[in-house]
Amino acid sequence: MSRKSLRGSLAAVVLLAGIATVSVGVYGQAGSTNLADGTMKGEWPYYTGDVRGTRFSPLEQINASNFNKLEVAWRFKTDNLGTRPEFKLEGTPLMVKGVVYATAGSRRAVVALDAKTGEQIWVFNSIREGMRAGGAPRQLSGRGLSYWTDNRGDDRILYVTTGYRLVALHAKTGQPVATFGKDGIVDLKVGAVFGRGQPIDLESGEIGLHSTPAVINDMILVGSSFKEGMTVKTHNNTKGLVRAFDVRTGKVIWTFNTIPKPGEFGGDTWENESWAQNGNTGVWAQITIDAEAGLVYLPVETPTSDFYGGHRPGDNLFAETLVAVDLKTGVRRWHFQLVHHPIWDHDISSAPLLVDITVDGKPIKAVAQPTKQGWLYMFDRITGKPIWPMPETPVPQSDVPGEKSSQTQPIPSKPPAYARTYVKIPDDVIDFTPPMRAAGLEVLKRYRTDQSPFVPYILGDVNGRLGAINIGNTGGGTNWPGAGLDPEIKVAYLPASNSGVTSGSLVEGPAGFSDIRYLAGVKGQEFREREGPGFGSAADAPRSTVPTTPPAATTPVPPLGVDGLSIVKPPYGVLSAIDLNKGELMFQVPHGDTPDVVRNHPALKGMTIPKTGQNGAVGLVITRTLVIYGDPQVTSPPGRPRGAMLRAYDKKTGAQVGEVWMPAQQSGSPMTYMVDGKQYIIVAVSGGNYSGEYIAYALPDSAR
Amino acid sequence: MRFRVAVIAIAAIWTVGVSQSSVRAEQDKSVWDGVFTEEQAKRGEAAFAKECSSCHGNDLAGDGFAPALAGSDFLSNWNDLSVGDLFERIRISMPPNGPSGVTPAQKVDIVAHIMNSNKYPAGKTELEPKTEVLKGIKIEMKK
Repeated sequence: MSRKSLRGSLAAVVLLAGIATVSVGVYGQAGSTNLADGTMKGEWPYYTGDVRGTRFSPLEQINASNFNKLEVAWRFKTDNLGTRPEFKLEGTPLMVKGVVYATAGSRRAVVALDAKTGEQIWVFNSIREGMRAGGAPRQLSGRGLSYWTDNRGDDRILYVTTGYRLVALHAKTGQPVATFGKDGIVDLKVGAVFGRGQPIDLESGEIGLHSTPAVINDMILVGSSFKEGMTVKTHNNTKGLVRAFDVRTGKVIWTFNTIPKPGEFGGDTWENESWAQNGNTGVWAQITIDAEAGLVYLPVETPTSDFYGGHRPGDNLFAETLVAVDLKTGVRRWHFQLVHHPIWDHDISSAPLLVDITVDGKPIKAVAQPTKQGWLYMFDRITGKPIWPMPETPVPQSDVPGEKSSQTQPIPSKPPAYARTYVKIPDDVIDFTPPMRAAGLEVLKRYRTDQSPFVPYILGDVNGRLGAINIGNTGGGTNWPGAGLDPEIKVAYLPASNSGVTSGSLVEGPAGFSDIRYLAGVKGQEFREREGPGFGSAADAPRSTVPTTPPAATTPVPPLGVDGLSIVKPPYGVLSAIDLNKGELMFQVPHGDTPDVVRNHPALKGMTIPKTGQNGAVGLVITRTLVIYGDPQVTSPPGRPRGAMLRAYDKKTGAQVGEVWMPAQQSGSPMTYMVDGKQYIIVAVSGGNYSGEYIAYALPDSAR
Repeated sequence: MRFRVAVIAIAAIWTVGVSQSSVRAEQDKSVWDGVFTEEQAKRGEAAFAKECSSCHGNDLAGDGFAPALAGSDFLSNWNDLSVGDLFERIRISMPPNGPSGVTPAQKVDIVAHIMNSNKYPAGKTELEPKTEVLKGIKIEMKK
């Protein structure tokens, strides 16, 4: 060998050794898992990647040049983890030390899988909850679980069962930790109350959870969730609460009650003693934490009865409020109510995002809250001061008897809305063709259509005004899958539905059905109890014994749409990016293939319609160069089999740089990790005829 | 030589033709071909009112959580799948709190009612409560 080539070879060897060392040192090595920087090591130790809510991982093996080459590395069906398959798998798995952990199945089992192959290591499925799960407000397998380690060999999985029990399992074996609670279980229903403090019944009391426990230091923080509140039987429901538990013993460290009593701060926002006769106001979305500052961020939901607040006059703190509490004590440090006297079901639906930014030269530790409303509310996360003004703005008033709607609502001046906040007439109305636009305007004449967000519901009547037009309540905007941000370039990436138009109407319920004066419904239309997604699907849910009376003949209500199409024009769903330092929209692109019903519509034959995007709640994962997430609906466009696409977007421009096929729509938010030098993406798919499956994608060895 | 080539060519075309037609035979019918009877759809309507309407609505419009079973949302979800796919989904998972409480015969009647509600034509034969047979009928948005 010549001298030159010998030197070249040596250099190559040194270089390769250097790269190998760097890779081995940074990614995927066994060793301690510090949750705060697990994603920096190529792990995914928390639902949102880290406890700051970012959904960010710095991995970049999968990038724009190879995304289209992704293949299915392995897959895991959840069919048999319960008495029947589930069709709404919403979990985001974790990956720690080479093992993937996930909740799965209609019994909400826990599985541990080899992260490289998907081979099952263990499954924990032995808690039989009977009616406690069968009647639980939040069923199926939920959104995932959590991980804790003492960095000295004690590693645990923590999750909340369908029947609202907190369970600690040894991560190695899947067996309950005997010293935690009672044989590994803490009964979370103990301590939940209603009314003036009466304990709820442990079997039938309503409370549950889909989100994952927040784990920090040696504490577990758990929120609370309830049934959908459109047509509930009583306003005196279980009261929401957040509790911190000791991770070793399961003992309660502190409790934050979201409904204050008279004399406590906020007690005067529940007039006429209504604090004692209302509940909900839980924290069902993901909790995030600033460990250095010792602050916990609680996204609080709607009070009892989503759309009628006549039994709870007043602003109703801390409903639909972002609350910062002290990590050690649970004492409130600051709060900001996003919606006063909530009557639109604008639960704060996802993780508050923590980011350090610089605004006008000043460094600010910020929290950015994505919402169903379509605004990203941004605050100094230490003081609670809005970064840009959120002036109290006059809004339309309710004319429903007994309702006292808030005169104003805070509306952020910056950043601009990242999804529709109301239906602008005529500009937002369907306009594929002039006749469709005219038809849309005609349809809307039968509704209350104030040109403002926060249009109060009306007493709708099939023979008169049908309802109040809102967009993004209940479904969003951004819903439970939330959003994410790149903490390096200070950009938030926000998936949002953009055509979730609703008709808001209230009606007196059937005699004896509820103690709430008005429930969701339209006079002259059959009254229907609305249970919410997945209700009744739990493994032990019994057959309903209440006979359903066939309803009296009713006048059909014309659909809120035109020829089977949405009343609003595209885009139906968007990915928005916001520069957090400037409070400006960086880009907004439609997400999701044009639905078949648009593509195949006889009235639109021959027209070239730009990609419309899809309405639907899907969450994302952010890597060093890509934003990645899948379609919420399935489509059958020419050129590919029926299915949904997992898409990769350029983080700077929003241009789609790659897509891979999935057999069904995304139903759980994706995550990413690296093991032995190979990067994987796992996404949950399910819906329609396709039962729940976790699918792991990776590059074929030849492409890496 | 040419004769042999011709024989081989014909054999190849014939083989391909046969395999194509056997693929086609798996789904040689569509919902446009009159695959249920009016009588069956009527039975299905009664069963639907009793077992399904409380969530899916008597108008099959859904309730915001239980999906619509007629109209564009339904068609978008099931376009290009088969009646067997729809029947199997209902068979194993609907109604959520007790799928075995409604018989397969009742469920296939309910599927006929759903087909009828989506304006697919009735015909002379009933839908059979057999997933593998119903998989041969394609759900198509347009003819």
